[in-house]
Amino acid sequence: MPVAIAALEPSLAFWVSFLAAGLVAMSAVVNAWGRYTGGLLVAPAIAVLVMMNIFPLLWSLGLSFFAYRADRQTMNFVGLRNYARALADPVVWDRLTTTALFVVLTVTAQMVVGFLLALLFSKQFPLRRYLLILVLTPMMLSFVAVGAFFRYYYDPTFGLVSQVASWFTDENFVLVSSTAGAVTAIVIADAWMWSPFVMLLVLAGLVSVPKHLYEAAAIDRVPKWRRFWFITFPYVKGLLMLALLFRTIEAFKLFDVVFILTDGGQRTETIALYVYRQAIQFNKTSESAALSYILLFTVIVLTNLYLYLANRRSTGVAE
Amino acid sequence: MSTIQLRGVTKRFGAFTAVRDVDMDVAAGEVVCLLGPSGCGKTTTLRIIAGLEQASEGDVVIAGQRMNNRTPEQRDIAMVFQFYALYPALTVGENLGFPLHAERISSQERDRRVRDVAGKLALSHILNRLPGQISEGEKQRVAVARAIIRDPNCFLFDEPLSRLDVELRQTMRGQIKEVLQGLSKATVIVTHDQLEALTMASRTAIMRDGRIEQIGTPHEVFAKPANAFVASFIGTPQMNLITADLLRVDGTMAEIAMEGTTVRVPVDSAVAGLKPGRITIGMRPRALSLVSDARVQAFSAQAELIEPMGAETLIHARTATGDDIRVVLPRSRRVTIGETLHLVPEAGLTHIFDQTGKAIRA
Amino acid sequence: MSGLAARLGFARTSTAVDQAGWGHSAFAAVICLIYFFPVLVIILTAFKEHADALAVPAKLFPTTLFGLIPERLAFTPTLDNFVNVFSRSYSAGSEAQGTGFARFFFNSIFIAGSSVVAALIIGTLAAFGFSRHPLKGNDTYLFMILSTRMLPAIVVIIPVMLLFRVTGLSGTYAGIILLYTAFNLPFAIWMMKSFFDELSPDVEDAARLDGSTDRRVFFKICLPQVIAGLAATAVFGLILTWNEFLFALLLTGVETRTVPVAMSQTIGGDIGVRWGLLAAIETLFLIPVMLVTFFLQNHLLRGVTFGTVKR
Repeated sequence: MPVAIAALEPSLAFWVSFLAAGLVAMSAVVNAWGRYTGGLLVAPAIAVLVMMNIFPLLWSLGLSFFAYRADRQTMNFVGLRNYARALADPVVWDRLTTTALFVVLTVTAQMVVGFLLALLFSKQFPLRRYLLILVLTPMMLSFVAVGAFFRYYYDPTFGLVSQVASWFTDENFVLVSSTAGAVTAIVIADAWMWSPFVMLLVLAGLVSVPKHLYEAAAIDRVPKWRRFWFITFPYVKGLLMLALLFRTIEAFKLFDVVFILTDGGQRTETIALYVYRQAIQFNKTSESAALSYILLFTVIVLTNLYLYLANRRSTGVAE
Repeated sequence: MSTIQLRGVTKRFGAFTAVRDVDMDVAAGEVVCLLGPSGCGKTTTLRIIAGLEQASEGDVVIAGQRMNNRTPEQRDIAMVFQFYALYPALTVGENLGFPLHAERISSQERDRRVRDVAGKLALSHILNRLPGQISEGEKQRVAVARAIIRDPNCFLFDEPLSRLDVELRQTMRGQIKEVLQGLSKATVIVTHDQLEALTMASRTAIMRDGRIEQIGTPHEVFAKPANAFVASFIGTPQMNLITADLLRVDGTMAEIAMEGTTVRVPVDSAVAGLKPGRITIGMRPRALSLVSDARVQAFSAQAELIEPMGAETLIHARTATGDDIRVVLPRSRRVTIGETLHLVPEAGLTHIFDQTGKAIRA
Repeated sequence: MSGLAARLGFARTSTAVDQAGWGHSAFAAVICLIYFFPVLVIILTAFKEHADALAVPAKLFPTTLFGLIPERLAFTPTLDNFVNVFSRSYSAGSEAQGTGFARFFFNSIFIAGSSVVAALIIGTLAAFGFSRHPLKGNDTYLFMILSTRMLPAIVVIIPVMLLFRVTGLSGTYAGIILLYTAFNLPFAIWMMKSFFDELSPDVEDAARLDGSTDRRVFFKICLPQVIAGLAATAVFGLILTWNEFLFALLLTGVETRTVPVAMSQTIGGDIGVRWGLLAAIETLFLIPVMLVTFFLQNHLLRGVTFGTVKR
């Protein structure tokens, strides 16, 4: 069906799918015998999501089986050729490797820093409210600003990082000129931005531990490290896993910061950036569609893996 | 030597004084209950003994050592919390063994002691379950077991039975009492249920507004309440407290004007020293006898509500001056609504309280 | 005597187990300031003239504090950048605009605000539907909805772009707002549903017995109790759409451009990056988000706890 729709003229395809979405919503209403209310309440949301998410998804799936170029408007069915090409392309694998590297580095950094920050804020102390806002600010900055200003910091001549480095060495310190440097620069910027998110989740876990558990542990003369591991950590574990999931998914999508900071230079081009270029600059619409589906597939596999692992070791921490 | 002493303990939270000048002694093997209505300071006092709160003034002495500046870890005590505070991520067996990590014993020894204690409290079959998977009663037993697995200076219980249903409470009352008897440690139990206090403790301290109103054996607080508050708090149904005027005392008979009549009542000899004036007379519902006609020692009330309680009947009556009187009669004595009852307070069971509420007694 | 000792010795470990004093505060303050430092530099840079921004050594102090700080480290603050934000016209790439940033700020506020409100309305209704009137296959729908959040943007971007071009939504407000609403919906539904699930049905039943219609029950009884969830959704949604870049880059036109996109275009300027100007833009851009977060802070933390603890 998606193939057939994709083969239609685009605006017609859109309206047909819109109607289809409407029908789906309505059948949901009819389906729930007598429970009209539920269907009606839910229908607008489903409609929007289908229109903006599902439909484009299906359409791009359809497109990936064709050789379609947005500028030439030709449509030849090529089956899985785009996929085969993408998987065989060494450039693609290189970008995937780069992306994987980023994911590992930045997610690890975020988890560690986020966890430490959460520990810092787990107690009630004067000024806590204001310091919390300070730490949440990096999350609220626009990616563009972060990318731009970290470029400012890393600039060889007037960047602050370079100035500090010049206290230690004589030559100009150019962080972004080497691959390792560029990767580090991006990881620092990204981790800096998103560690507060991890912190919020972990903090929610830390403060949800009932106080009398700690009192009982004090009376039972349980040493501090044991208290942390057996009492605190179980409450935090679930949320940490959630943070891990969210941040990993986001890390795979890494685009904005890289785009602004290095624009993919120094071999820091992530897969997202690559797809963007292919689609926008080179108009290789179908091929990039195929590639993005490969990426989607990877993310789905990883998510399911995570869910499987998470459910397997669920200890009954009563909440 | 397992003892507890509190001297002049006071605790203030800002402008609010939760505990006022509390003195208490608990001997080794003795069980003392802190009993009182909500907010009377009993839990705070317990927490001060445990070290979870710091006393604003006064001394806490456990096992002969002054513990004011010591953290809970350093006091070597065991506590059972109201909400059990079982570690949710550990199995029952691990929960029991947790406190033992602080002692230098081998893991075999630790396991042995866990099995031992589990056997005592019928927990052997659930050692591998998590706290989230066991019943309320089992959780309670685990909490108690975790406390007794150690050899602490003393035991502290915070409302241990409040979350159990009536049947379970009865069983656990007996079980806990049995367990404690074998251990000869000073124990303090906090409760708001007087039945618990009277059955489990060798002495009960009744508290109100941070102060101990009276400490005594169950018999003492029941039969010889120190003031009107204790008198009305202990005993169900509640004691009747009626304001009256003391007219004259002859030896052990007092002439009292109440309910529009003058009644001659047998009282304690110390009442003779009291000047005529306003007093409160206390009579327990079971300490009133019914007589067939009006006489000098009797006052009258009209029956308004009748509650059959099985072997006995509780009758709510109202006097001519509007006071409520509760009378408990055996089932055989039938009463109808509206019937006028003539009641005689029994000798030796009548309490006189002066204007401040203090009991007048030799 | 013993009372005095008790008071002096243990004034700090009073009641709660996790109370900490000024020592911890100071330590935390240092850490937080270090963490905040890059943001601070941005804010300071907003007040610098271009030359000052490029100065080596870095001029970090706005005043010389009466000679305490050497002149080389101080700069004279200026409001020029802020003025320029709104007054200059920007030419970038092939699209020349005659407007100052006022237009872009308006766009950002309008677009982000509308999509958050739309997501809240549609999402809360849907969440209520999912919670109170479960359909067959409820869980499947919910998982599907949540999984749309997991899509890498690039998977969706190409067809969406084409879609927009084809249907004429490209560069319109309606288009981008619709898209952002779709972004915010999964989170809104998920969060509000867990809040609705938490409510005890007793109150609602009592109200129904008293004769209230379903609508009144919803507005007067359910809604007030889930304000924390609404706040959390609003804040997260706002943060998400406020700073969104990729879709805005490709789907907004000259008139509807949001601030992040406009910012990226000032970078590719002719005289090199105008750092001061950029800093001023970002500082101004930061303020609305910070305000919203600050005021909804308490609700936010509660919202995070509720929404994530249930699995």
